[in-house]
Amino acid sequence: MKNTKDTMKVTLHPDWDEIEPLRLQAHDFFGSHGLSGNTIQSLVMVLGELLENSVKYGSYKVLNGQINISINITKKIITIEVTNPIDDSNLDDLKRLDQMIQWVRGYQDPFEAYIERLKEVAKKPLHDKESGLGIVRVAYEGDVILDFFVSEDNLLTVSAVLTR
Amino acid sequence: MDREEYTFQALLVDDKGKIPIEAKYSAKFAVQIKFLDDQIREDGYEFRNLVFIIDDEQVDLGPCRFLTQSEGDGHAGYLFFVGDIYDLDSLLFHKKKVILQGPFGNLPIILEHKHKIRQQFKDYTASLTYDLSVYKNLFDSLDAEYAFEPEMVRKVVQQTIIANEGKTFFEYFDSQLRELQRIVADFSKEEHERHGFYFRKQVWNYITLTPFMRRTNLKPRGYSGDSAMMRMIYIKEELGDSTFSKLLHKHCIERPAAEAVRNRRTLIANTLINKLSNSVLSPGERFKVLSVACGPAFEIQDLLSNPKDCEIYDFTLLDQDKAALAEAASLVGQIELNLGARIKVGYLQESVRTMLSTLRLASKLGQFHFIYSMGLFDYLTPPVARAVLWNLYQLLQPEGEMIVGNFHVSNPNRIYMEYWGDWVLYYRTEEEFFNLLKSGAEAARSTTFDETGIQMFLQIKRLR
Ligand SMILES: Nc1ncnc2c1ncn2[C@@H]1O[C@H](COP(=O)(O)OP(=O)(O)O)[C@@H](O)[C@H]1O
Ligand SMILES: [Mg+2]
Repeated sequence: MKNTKDTMKVTLHPDWDEIEPLRLQAHDFFGSHGLSGNTIQSLVMVLGELLENSVKYGSYKVLNGQINISINITKKIITIEVTNPIDDSNLDDLKRLDQMIQWVRGYQDPFEAYIERLKEVAKKPLHDKESGLGIVRVAYEGDVILDFFVSEDNLLTVSAVLTR
Repeated sequence: MDREEYTFQALLVDDKGKIPIEAKYSAKFAVQIKFLDDQIREDGYEFRNLVFIIDDEQVDLGPCRFLTQSEGDGHAGYLFFVGDIYDLDSLLFHKKKVILQGPFGNLPIILEHKHKIRQQFKDYTASLTYDLSVYKNLFDSLDAEYAFEPEMVRKVVQQTIIANEGKTFFEYFDSQLRELQRIVADFSKEEHERHGFYFRKQVWNYITLTPFMRRTNLKPRGYSGDSAMMRMIYIKEELGDSTFSKLLHKHCIERPAAEAVRNRRTLIANTLINKLSNSVLSPGERFKVLSVACGPAFEIQDLLSNPKDCEIYDFTLLDQDKAALAEAASLVGQIELNLGARIKVGYLQESVRTMLSTLRLASKLGQFHFIYSMGLFDYLTPPVARAVLWNLYQLLQPEGEMIVGNFHVSNPNRIYMEYWGDWVLYYRTEEEFFNLLKSGAEAARSTTFDETGIQMFLQIKRLR
């Protein structure tokens, strides 16, 4: 854990109960940089969605598998990165995430992706409860640019960039 | 099973209770039924609810109306939905509940989205669409005049119109784009997005009329900048069903931003050949080249002009898109045919974002003398761009070189691309681009530009 004035780094256990305290901590961190209430709220929402995905989809079979969070604030951009381990069972997740992120970013206005996605979600499979709205909502309501990358040691980092 | 033969048990509900029926799929939005209680219902009778049992679960489909049939095939008649209209194809054969009118549910937020559009922008758009429709009518009426001329005559007449009146239209259109640029100059990111959405709704007819913009907007492969778009830019082919659509298409692919794309193709080839001539290969060793997000790989033609050239290279072409790799492969096949020689080339369908976990890239591919990637970094945000660049760097042999491209923030066609084309890139300054490589790298690096100043290159040489 290394924290400077402009960077906040935290490690989490993949546990739903850990999300809320971290959201509060991030809230304070953003606040200490003088961001507007709206911006703080949407960034905390973004962080929350990314964390939920990490808890939900990460593979923690490896010893001490955990989630790493890094938030960095510079004059021009704010970057949120959430990292979780994955394994071969995640191949379909990676494909879905890859497609989803490129598709969302294909629209100048993420609102359009949001509408399209709502239409899709309305066509509910009778037995499926997944929403598949998280990423799209993050892009639309958080107005961040999403991206992700998998490193050689099978760590998936989803990042959200807010340009100022 | 044949859909038309699909029959099943269901229930109808009215004030008196439940009526068992046998239903038969008859169309996407109607079923044919028999009542199993032997009572007769009159034409137009309405039921409160129609209930299907699917996988032991009760699925309520709401009110529907009964219409009797005259043909005597044993059925009493048809049921039609009177409230929500369910798509029975989806429901019965894909187990998905799809309501025909579903999208109307989003109507309020879509209509809401037009608030917060600035008045000046609305005025601009209204005046623009008026003018465009005037231009379109004029060009269309000219087209109608010579529509029945022999093909050759039609062609020549059209070329003349494109060269003369087309030029006038271009001047008008350019001035409108300058005006658009002026109006949105101080917009925030969110305002650009919202106004762009509004704008495309107004000019949608003209977008779909224009082959190039139609594709950049619809993105049939799910992402921007696919190989078919690149092809349109590279080949500069005349496309469009009418003079006016040809003009709009031509306007797009003649912009400096498109010129920059064409420029980078030759620049890559030159840089590569230059590197090759400065490299010492051991006997039998080939010059290993990796193209990342290769697209149609047009530049390969520029590298191979005779059979001898084919013996020098060992290409690896990587792209996420099967269709792009297929285009590249067919181009390679064509070159092989023309030169009567074999080209050593491997194709990898991989996403740059996930390739490390799926591929174990380095151990599988070895290292390269030369790596290039043109239309990729324009889509990567800083954290991902840094990670990808670092990994590509590690795929370089000592002394190996890499060149990657990125559009510069000053792209004069940025607003045109974003508002008309729904095509957004991650633009970088020279400094941001230069600093993408981690400080740990022992490398020499420099940035350069193409003639338009839009296409920026980062050139990296691995020292050790
Ligand atoms: N941290 C992650 N690790 C692995 N897969 C992920 C991760 N985040 C997202 N995904 C994949 O991307 C898909 C889309 O995510 P999202 O839009 O949040 O929808 P949802 O969470 O409702 O499934 C997920 O269904 C999952 O397959
Ligand atoms: Mg989610």
